[in-house]
Amino acid sequence: MTTCDEIEADKRSEQPGLIRLVLFFVMQGVAVILVGFAALFLSFEPVWSAERLSANYLKPGDARSGSLLIKNEEGYADASRLGIDVDLTVSGPTVRARVTQIFRNPTQDWVEAVYVYPFPSGGAVDTLKMVIGDRVVVGDIKERQQAKIIYEQAKQNGQKAALTEQERPNIFTNSVANIGPGETVLVQIEYQEPVQQSGNEFSLRVPMVVAPRYNPAPVVQSVEFRPDGGGWGAVKSDPVPDRDRISPEVLDPASNAPVNPTRITVRLQAGFPLGEVKSLHHAIKTEKPDANTSILRLAEGPVPADRDFELTWKPAAEKTPSVGLFRERVGDSDYLLAFVTPPAVEQAQQKPLPREVIFVIDNSGSMGGVSIIQAKASLIYALGRLQPNDRFNVIRFDHTMEVLFPSAVPADREHIGRATSYVGALQASGGTEMVPAMRAALSDNAGDANYIRQVVFLTDGAIGNEQQLFETISALRGRSRIFMVGIGSAPNTYLMTRAAELGRGTFTHIGSVEQVEERMRGLFAKLENPAVTNLTAKFSDAAADITPVAIPDVYRDEPLVLAAKLDKLAGSVEIKGRIGDRPWVVTLPLANAAEGKGLSKLWARRKIADAEVARTTRQANPEDADKTILALALEHQLVTRLTSLVAVDKTPSRPQGEPLKVSELPINLPAGWDFEKVFGERPRVPAAPAERRAGADEAQVQVAALKRAQPVTTQAPNTVTLPRTATDAELKMIAGVILLTVSLILLVLNRRQRRQMSRR
Amino acid sequence: MRLPRFVLPLLALAGLLLFGQGAYIHAKALVAQVLLEHAFEKAIATGRETKPWSWADTWPVARIEVKRIHASAIVLAGSSGQALAFGPGHVERTPNAGERGVAVYSAHRDTHFAFLKNIVVGDEIEVTRSDGKHFRYRVDAASVVHFDASGIDPFADGHHLVLSTCWPFDALTQGPERYLVHATMIVSVPDLH
Repeated sequence: MTTCDEIEADKRSEQPGLIRLVLFFVMQGVAVILVGFAALFLSFEPVWSAERLSANYLKPGDARSGSLLIKNEEGYADASRLGIDVDLTVSGPTVRARVTQIFRNPTQDWVEAVYVYPFPSGGAVDTLKMVIGDRVVVGDIKERQQAKIIYEQAKQNGQKAALTEQERPNIFTNSVANIGPGETVLVQIEYQEPVQQSGNEFSLRVPMVVAPRYNPAPVVQSVEFRPDGGGWGAVKSDPVPDRDRISPEVLDPASNAPVNPTRITVRLQAGFPLGEVKSLHHAIKTEKPDANTSILRLAEGPVPADRDFELTWKPAAEKTPSVGLFRERVGDSDYLLAFVTPPAVEQAQQKPLPREVIFVIDNSGSMGGVSIIQAKASLIYALGRLQPNDRFNVIRFDHTMEVLFPSAVPADREHIGRATSYVGALQASGGTEMVPAMRAALSDNAGDANYIRQVVFLTDGAIGNEQQLFETISALRGRSRIFMVGIGSAPNTYLMTRAAELGRGTFTHIGSVEQVEERMRGLFAKLENPAVTNLTAKFSDAAADITPVAIPDVYRDEPLVLAAKLDKLAGSVEIKGRIGDRPWVVTLPLANAAEGKGLSKLWARRKIADAEVARTTRQANPEDADKTILALALEHQLVTRLTSLVAVDKTPSRPQGEPLKVSELPINLPAGWDFEKVFGERPRVPAAPAERRAGADEAQVQVAALKRAQPVTTQAPNTVTLPRTATDAELKMIAGVILLTVSLILLVLNRRQRRQMSRR
Repeated sequence: MRLPRFVLPLLALAGLLLFGQGAYIHAKALVAQVLLEHAFEKAIATGRETKPWSWADTWPVARIEVKRIHASAIVLAGSSGQALAFGPGHVERTPNAGERGVAVYSAHRDTHFAFLKNIVVGDEIEVTRSDGKHFRYRVDAASVVHFDASGIDPFADGHHLVLSTCWPFDALTQGPERYLVHATMIVSVPDLH
């Protein structure tokens, strides 16, 4: 009987249940509409005011308002156009690069072209050639001031002249004076660079564009009194004294077709049978003229210079060569370049110490676009790799800074979860004040010796006050080690490598979202495995001048790179160190060294870098360091902070009385950057890009004509990228309805249960 | 088994919020078009760029109509995500409608350009620019392309119009594919003289 009763009871309760259900849906509908409309009017504001950046990005226009920029209402459309041809030859451990820049003057005036150009930070620039018609003028290395004077003199006299100056070890400026109306001048620069190696992968990268730098406004000022001054002095110490020299005009990609078409050719002679060869950011095609050589070209013809070219290659054999030894004889001396990859030794006795990892993430405006996505993905990956007995903290910075936890916390589930959602919510905007963030990351309050302290710093390094950062690192590094993670299509590699060197860590570059996992895994192998420490090198017979003087620690899968100048090529070199708790030694007989090219220049470049580091860390006084640098630069014909290359054509070409105009060549915004995030709002009405395109095509044609090579057949693809046009409205509404339905069912079930219970 | 008391309201609230967010996207799209319509009428009347609401950072540039299926929408300058929430956007770096080349308008598949799935070859698309000029296009093709390989050369010969939206229409998530409706201008009679 009870059963029957129950059914009846159910039927009775169904009627009001149905009404309740209908009411529920009506109420829901009303609520949704209310919520929708309230949200509509409340949240217009934040949607629209998407951070207008009030940053201190300077453009040359601001900085040099007095100079003669060829500028009309269409922007730089009529300024000198430029094409770039990059020819690389890889022979064993070194890369010889020949960069040909084509300056063309389509105007009716005589112009001076000024172009800011990126170079690899380890590159040794040693040759400048200027080609005018059939004549070739070869440049000489001179002290910077002197070179400038020679150039200015030639400019005044109406002679054609070219000047290559170093602004940063990875930023150079080319100036070409007296390009006549309709005339074309070709400037060729050559540099030497060591091949990079990591694990079994060899790589080279050609930076193509100087990313816009954040140049902090001068805050701290110091006063310099003139010796004779009677108390009057000048206020100085702008953190970026040369800001106008490294801030060329950047074109908004939305309203300008890309400029500076670039062609790249790589002749790859690795010295071993090649396995996989990959270009990471450009499509390439490969030819094999003989067994030892591969020639690689861009598959789609010239590309706009808006992202770095990166090439990696691996040996075909299973086993990677772990030792490379190369020699070159220049003058009376022998130069030696050695690559040694220490073996991965498993630690027998003790477990590795737990780590205290401080993650620093740059969420400034320059990281907008895909960079911030890469940075966030990398950091979230890194958080997931921490062990439970590790400790960590997260710092984010733009022109402001925030430390997530008051001090480092254990890497347990809860803390990792909090950090992950914190990182996931970060947005890119604002300026880049890197120094306070680095200082916070290095403040090692706990000082607990049971933890290894590591700082992982994720940034694109787009700042102009590198020196301040280096000084901070060398003053405060203590026992912390700094691992730089470079993000984006054109990171500041000079900042990254030097900061990692000063911080005794490594530099990892992540150029695309796909690389995040692979590269971060590599980084963690370095973080988790003991480094090879206490490294020394000793030559048995020869007297050697070794660089780096103090060999830095080497992390898992990295080679130890050593350059030396020897009085004679005899005996052997013994390299000693400790891998974790075990001693390691390797002896290389010098007689087996293979012939290499340009090793003397690499040695000199490395010595110069050492001197610059010593200057930064105040191990040497500035005058001595400068003297060393100057001597090395003049002997080996290298462009440095103190020396420039200058070429002057003997015959004057600009007639007396004709004025000369300066044309600063605009550059592209690096790929993946968000123009508005960096420079603020773009001008209202984008200019019609039709004329711009014609200009770019002309320059491409010019490249082909001047190179006397096959004509450029493929044009830079000119297609429209379509915006994202799907909303998640439906997804959200469906999810909402599902949740509501579930709650409704639960409600009904609950009621029934309660009624049953009350009946009992 | 009894659920804790707070679970039900929480679940209902979450559902309500999600549903509200979805509805909000649609509400925004609808309301904005009404405001835009006003602004556009005013722009044609006064001949000046008129903002639909005082803090807007975009403005109506054209009205597109497909009379056969009674569809119409006000097109905004620019195709940023913000602009697309309110109406179709005129993609940057493409010419204006009526000019030589390929004008590209883009909008969300589930709001303003939901009607693209009903367009067939031969339909007439009418475009009225904010300066009052009127152009007619005839649909001659539809295609599905990858967003960064649209194959559209904005400076191609002739006078063309492309309407673009996400493909497939009934998908719930973002995808790389785009649905394009391609139309060519019908030379109006006064132009022949």
